[in-house]
Amino acid sequence: MKADAPILEVRGITKRFPGGVVALDHVDLEIRPGEIHAVLGENGAGKTTLMNILFGVLQPDEGEIYINGRRVRFRSPLDAMNMGIGMVHQIRKLIPAHTVLENIILGHPKTESIINLKKAREEVKALCEKYGFNIDLDARVWQLSAGEQQVVEILRALYRGAKILILDEPTTVLTPSEVESFLNSMKAMTKEEIATIPFVTHKLPEVFAVCDRITVLRRGKVVKRLGTKEATMKALAEYMVGREVLFKLEKPKVEIGEEILRVENLSALSDKGVLALKGVSFSIREGEIFGIAGIAGNGQQELAEVIAGLRKPLGGRIIFQGRDITNASVLERMKMGIGYIPPERLGVGAIGNFSLVENILMSIYFDHEFSSKGFLSYKKIREYAKKIISEFEVVAPSIDTKAAHLSGGNLQRLILGRVIPRTSKLLIANSPTVGLDIAATEAVRNRILKCKERGMGVLLISEDLDEVLELSDSIAPIYEGRFVRILSAVEAKKEVVGAMMAGALSGGG
Amino acid sequence: MWPFIIRSLEVATILLLAAIGELLTQRSGIINVGIEGLMLLGAASGFLAALIWGIVPGYVVGMIMGALFGLLHAVLSITLRVNQVVSGMGIWLFAMGFVTYWADRYSGPLPPGVVSLRIYGLSPLFFIGIAAVFIIWFILSKTHLGLKIRSTGENPFAAEVSGVKVIRIRYACTIIGGALSGLAGAFLSLTYLGTWSHLPTKGLGWIAFALVMFSLWRPQILLGGAILFGFVWQFAISPESVYAGIPAPLPILRMLPFIVTIVLLVIISSERFRRKWWLAKPEALGVPYIKE
Amino acid sequence: MVYLQLPKLKRERLIVLTGKEAVLISISSLIVAFIIFSGFLMLEGATPTEAYGHIFTFAFDPKLGLSTTLHRGFFILFSTLAFIVPMSAGLWNIGMEGQFYLGTIGAFAVAYSLPNLDPALLIPLMITSGALFGAGYGALAGFLRGKLNVNEVVATLMLNNIAFWLVYLLTVGGPWAGIAESTSRPLPASARAPIIWNTTFTSFLAIGIAILLYIFLKYSSLGYQIRVLGNSSVAAKHIGISAPKITILVMSIGGAIAGAAGYHMWAGDPAFYMIPRPEAYKAIGDLTYWGILIGLVCLLNSLAAIPFTVFIGSILVGSTVLVRRLRLPFGLDVLFLGVISLTFVAFQFFHNYRIRRIRRE
Repeated sequence: MKADAPILEVRGITKRFPGGVVALDHVDLEIRPGEIHAVLGENGAGKTTLMNILFGVLQPDEGEIYINGRRVRFRSPLDAMNMGIGMVHQIRKLIPAHTVLENIILGHPKTESIINLKKAREEVKALCEKYGFNIDLDARVWQLSAGEQQVVEILRALYRGAKILILDEPTTVLTPSEVESFLNSMKAMTKEEIATIPFVTHKLPEVFAVCDRITVLRRGKVVKRLGTKEATMKALAEYMVGREVLFKLEKPKVEIGEEILRVENLSALSDKGVLALKGVSFSIREGEIFGIAGIAGNGQQELAEVIAGLRKPLGGRIIFQGRDITNASVLERMKMGIGYIPPERLGVGAIGNFSLVENILMSIYFDHEFSSKGFLSYKKIREYAKKIISEFEVVAPSIDTKAAHLSGGNLQRLILGRVIPRTSKLLIANSPTVGLDIAATEAVRNRILKCKERGMGVLLISEDLDEVLELSDSIAPIYEGRFVRILSAVEAKKEVVGAMMAGALSGGG
Repeated sequence: MWPFIIRSLEVATILLLAAIGELLTQRSGIINVGIEGLMLLGAASGFLAALIWGIVPGYVVGMIMGALFGLLHAVLSITLRVNQVVSGMGIWLFAMGFVTYWADRYSGPLPPGVVSLRIYGLSPLFFIGIAAVFIIWFILSKTHLGLKIRSTGENPFAAEVSGVKVIRIRYACTIIGGALSGLAGAFLSLTYLGTWSHLPTKGLGWIAFALVMFSLWRPQILLGGAILFGFVWQFAISPESVYAGIPAPLPILRMLPFIVTIVLLVIISSERFRRKWWLAKPEALGVPYIKE
Repeated sequence: MVYLQLPKLKRERLIVLTGKEAVLISISSLIVAFIIFSGFLMLEGATPTEAYGHIFTFAFDPKLGLSTTLHRGFFILFSTLAFIVPMSAGLWNIGMEGQFYLGTIGAFAVAYSLPNLDPALLIPLMITSGALFGAGYGALAGFLRGKLNVNEVVATLMLNNIAFWLVYLLTVGGPWAGIAESTSRPLPASARAPIIWNTTFTSFLAIGIAILLYIFLKYSSLGYQIRVLGNSSVAAKHIGISAPKITILVMSIGGAIAGAAGYHMWAGDPAFYMIPRPEAYKAIGDLTYWGILIGLVCLLNSLAAIPFTVFIGSILVGSTVLVRRLRLPFGLDVLFLGVISLTFVAFQFFHNYRIRRIRRE
């Protein structure tokens, strides 16, 4: 029965962006009621664009969308919602200060003018029971974990009566125990004829376990459509990546030298006043890359900030080259040769309204080599900036170009160029390649390896497990503010580290 | 003593009306620092209207004037996305010039025929002000509309995804906030002062603005704050009605409300309250909503 | 975006704004202000062209209004500079009024206590004292903001009102009260500002400060740190710039400049040579708020502020003609300034966006 009439049909969708980029090229998709239909694709394959079109955020240039055989046009997400499409965003579209229940009933046509909370609560509770969600409806959303927030979004869509549920990377934020109950909930939805469309890049196996069919996107085109039974993991990965050769980095052979940084039992609060870092100890030696792998929000951000001097630790000590720097200021640490590359580029690592010269100045403004009597020696600074720009291959019309005009990759090259030459001992690279294209990613990774060659210690923090494994000498999966273990590169197996950062394995095992 | 209490409650009414309007506006994510200007415009237009049509039309016209300039602030800050502080400042500066030009030629008391209605000496607007606080509290905390308004002020993107008309709500709240500020102004010139003199607000609008910050955006606290400041303000103006022998010279007493404001600001900004304050503050306050 | 927007036009975000564009925007905003004000003029039965002619011939006639034009214009320049420095660090100093009052107190305190001092000593002393008083008041706001995290907009405004009553306390029936009701005693003759080229020498002091500030903000290491903080407080933190320190510093500099205007204002215009009645000094104090608008319109460029402030001064002085010579109602002059403030604000839109026509689908 199911197989015959698709609930959602997408035909020949094409979307072009200014600058001639074709994000989607005649994409077809067919979803049957109650099926779990995964859409696979790498970053940049067009998944986000497709999702946005299905949810009415973007309008396609060509192509049609049919729901239950009827042609529809979405002008806004509201149109899509009214046609029974629900969306679970990866960047949560929830209101952190409000309760779960308030988030679910907000804007719903059924919500009375004077809210009947009791009735709404019962209805949502019924939904929770039906699909096996377990959540406190009166908790404020900011108090919830990423996985719980996802549940709130799913509940919101279901409460609205969604028959088609689009899920953006649903499994990345889940811990292993959550994954299982999540998959059960998906199966429960199937029984209610609700079609779910998970869009997936990573964590293939979990999705693989439950979905019925798979569509693979690559560079805006559908390259393969197949049933789960016909697919193998290996084949899927090949479809996703195509024949592109993945670059392999040559890890330089470097003598590991003396200890540069020792961190003892460090703990810290997050911005919200929650204990985010719970007693972490480790050390980094010259020429060593120490990689911290973890899902965002497990304390790695706080750890990086404490070491860079941006956040006051709650307890513990930081010893840098034998000196206690726990209370040293950011500037003192910079002068000692500690450099920090923050995860956010514009507005933190670089200032958009400043020229490239002024941006590079951010790391040398205090250096007497570049100023005299309180005034900056712009001639010297410009020369230095020119050198940096060419050395770090920042592509820009001139050194007076505003940083806001740079692409993401160029901006990161600029930030590296600003920080690395002024860093002699320890580089803290926090998510240095997030959001970059392949070429820029490669350039950044090579720079980090060069730092290692120069005998610097590097603290690398990344959500990208492959990156951590590929670059690091020591690897520490972090989970809920603690290192699960510290492994050497040789003993670190991807599956094991992955499970550790998801909280599956305790330190003892 | 009773006249003093009545006068104080009148000041409280002015603060209450203006501040509850600003609270609503801020809850929707728009900050309007031009309350002082809106009050001036409401005071002047209300006064002029009362000269022609009497007291109640005076209130109404003051309110309409406030709404119009609330609308202007909405256009500037929502549609044109001008920095909201700048926009409010501009409206305030304009109001100072415009009101001087428009109303100063009619300086002087209201004619004897134009008298404010009073119940046991209290103006009905005092009760209307309290009712406004209650209504806005009810709307914000109990109704779907209120949930939509709060969501708009917290995270307009999330609100929009849930089908909330962010722009429309922000417009409405800014206009209503303006109307209430205008009414507060009209009440000031018609009932509290009963006369027109050059730029009569004297910083009351700014105190109303500060009150919203103290109240942690909660109407109940705002009500208490407005009454407290009503008494402080009135005491600063006529200390003799409380205690004849107060030794401090008048100008020092007149500083009192402003000093109290600063002290309260310091307390509310302290480490103990800051986290609470940040949680209460509408997260998108002052940030233009740019759909992309 | 459907509401209140013409369907065929589209906002396009500007990434950066060049100086040339900024000039064009401000000129257009002035043109619009002139057009709007023409409406009011016609409403009052005046011919706009004639009225504007009167305004500017009076304002720039060396025998009539020029010296007052320059005096008021440069007074506004002081306020603008006092706004620009903190704003470069991202802080809203709207406390120029209070800092100016404190500067007034500082300057007059010196003059009254040392009336027989040689002008060559007394005048610099008065200016310094005014600047110090203003700086202290600015630093107080800076301390509240930098150390205690108090919102600077509300704090500075409250301080303005307090300062107003402080001056009141000293002048109206206070220790400085003069013979005339509610004004201060006149300044000693030795305290009067020397006149150079039709204006008080302190006008040149204002220009000098503008130039120095320009150099300071653009080329000094401290100026750079201020600008980093102004652009992104997070970035500033990441490169070891101490926000509280810079906050107090910029507020003190701003306060000092606004405080120096206390001398410029009352000792630089023969019409005063004293602190006038409260309404009158309040009216002057209200002029300081122009510093905010001009500072923003000039993109915080202290040199570009000079022609603007003189222009506003000319309107301020020239439009009094409307009242006196054309017998138009009182207050029309301040209305003109009000209209300009609104168009300035509305045209801020073009600082971030440009309108582009798009084809309808």
